[in-house]
Amino acid sequence: MMLEVKNLVKEFGGLVANADISFELQQGEVLGLIGPNGAGKSTLFNCIAGYYKPTGGQILFEGKEITGWPSHLVAREGIARTFQGMKIMANLTVGENVMIGAFCRTGDRRIALKEAGEILDLMGLDGETEAYPAELPIASQKRIELARAIATKPKLLMLDEMAAGLNPLETKEIIQILQRIKEQRQLTLFLTEHVMEFVMTVSQRVIVMSAGQKITEGPPAEVARQEKVIEAYLGERYAKGR
Amino acid sequence: MRQLLIDIFSFGDRPRFEKIGFLIFILIVFIFPWIVTSAYGRAVMIKFLLFALFGLGWNLIGGYGGQVDLGQAKNVGFGAYATALMIVWWKIPFWVTIPVGVFFAVLESFAVAYPMFRLKGHYFAIATLCVALVWKELFIFWDWTGGARGVEIPIRTGVDFAYMQFNSAIYYHYFILFLFLTQLLFMNWFRKSKMGYWVQAVRDNEEAAASLGINVTNTKVKAYCIAAALGAVGGSFMAVYYLYIDPDAVMPLDLSILIAMTVMVGGAGSIWGPIIGAAILIPLDMYLGAWLGAQKRLGIDFMIYAMIMMVIAAKEPRGIWGIIERVRKKRSR
Repeated sequence: MMLEVKNLVKEFGGLVANADISFELQQGEVLGLIGPNGAGKSTLFNCIAGYYKPTGGQILFEGKEITGWPSHLVAREGIARTFQGMKIMANLTVGENVMIGAFCRTGDRRIALKEAGEILDLMGLDGETEAYPAELPIASQKRIELARAIATKPKLLMLDEMAAGLNPLETKEIIQILQRIKEQRQLTLFLTEHVMEFVMTVSQRVIVMSAGQKITEGPPAEVARQEKVIEAYLGERYAKGR
Repeated sequence: MRQLLIDIFSFGDRPRFEKIGFLIFILIVFIFPWIVTSAYGRAVMIKFLLFALFGLGWNLIGGYGGQVDLGQAKNVGFGAYATALMIVWWKIPFWVTIPVGVFFAVLESFAVAYPMFRLKGHYFAIATLCVALVWKELFIFWDWTGGARGVEIPIRTGVDFAYMQFNSAIYYHYFILFLFLTQLLFMNWFRKSKMGYWVQAVRDNEEAAASLGINVTNTKVKAYCIAAALGAVGGSFMAVYYLYIDPDAVMPLDLSILIAMTVMVGGAGSIWGPIIGAAILIPLDMYLGAWLGAQKRLGIDFMIYAMIMMVIAAKEPRGIWGIIERVRKKRSR
């Protein structure tokens, strides 16, 4: 088992953002996480990645308990992530951004440089190594973030809103890149997304959250037909009226 | 080993004009005391090299690290006092006192760094400023440090390499040049090392850095301590160069601010920034000192610095080096 989340609870003051969430993630699987705005998807992500300390429950990564670990230790353990609002090092070049990811596993600059180059090749960013991130379009910046996360050689890659702000063509491209990398590096993917086309084509299984609760899980096509999912997205009246 | 040497000596990620510029700079500083024979001219040059050295150290925490430290003078003071007191008390040779000064500067920095790095941005800057001022007051208050009267190092005649006392400024020139070049080469290695990149990653985005396996607080603390060590070396030089030190000379607020300013004017976060900044500010500082005389104490020089600072902050936050880079980028297109 790659990742096990058991009865995870996260409260902010009186607000319960994650109430008793449990799920499992198999090695090599692609798991999607969907739900309307404010469902608690990002909170769940941040709890696993060590950005938030959970109020209760357990998170096990490859059988090892990582509940409440700080981000950098979670990253070293093998969980990489991208951020919803991009967090790129603006004063460093594209190549250096990715190199810093590679420094997670090596202290040798030459090895880090070589690995960064290989990953940028894969991303189709090999011509932009010397450029600064701000000089590139949003789609390329998203790829830098992805490249940087992959450079840490993760076992589990968590993608937070990867397709947000991309046009359909760019989304398609990033899906292709992701699938290629997943095969090549034998990654397990956990992604949360608003763009339905993205989650539904990439994921093998999806978890649906609403108002801090996990309401269902299953294969994408099946989940999309369930009444409580439609209800969560479109409201009770629409679901009943169908 | 070979790789390490290449890393230290290669400024090779830079275009050709920069290498030529560096060679010209090295040539000038090497032959300078033979061309300019006036005591004043040589003194300006030595002060320039000293502040370029201070700038290199400050650049590590303030430029690459992005943590505005307004207390570097305390580390200069630790270096200066370690050297002066050890020579006066026990007649210990200068070269032994350098590591002692560095040790105390690093120890103190390590002790205050953890609580201080709970603060960010302006609050961190204010904390560093306060800590430095507290140390200055303590050195004035204590008797064993000589109090406000300071410490005087007994003068030796001739050329003494054990205590680094010389009867000619030429020796001091090459002495500080040696210290400056070692720190320049260290910084050239550092900025390309894993630690150097981690420091820059933390500057640009702490959350992203943490997500890449970087321990943010540890990285900041290490950068702060290394910067302290580099500053203390300059302090040791000050003790044997001026032969008289007091808290007002080696740990004042003015010094902290001047060090930070040289880097900001020249270009924070670039290897040449501190050198460019010192080349502009130190002659200006000496000129203002001569021109304004006693009125310098009124702070007229600081008004002029503040104006320079405002222009830099508004027009090009990356300093003069930022302007050079921008022009070069425009040309290459």
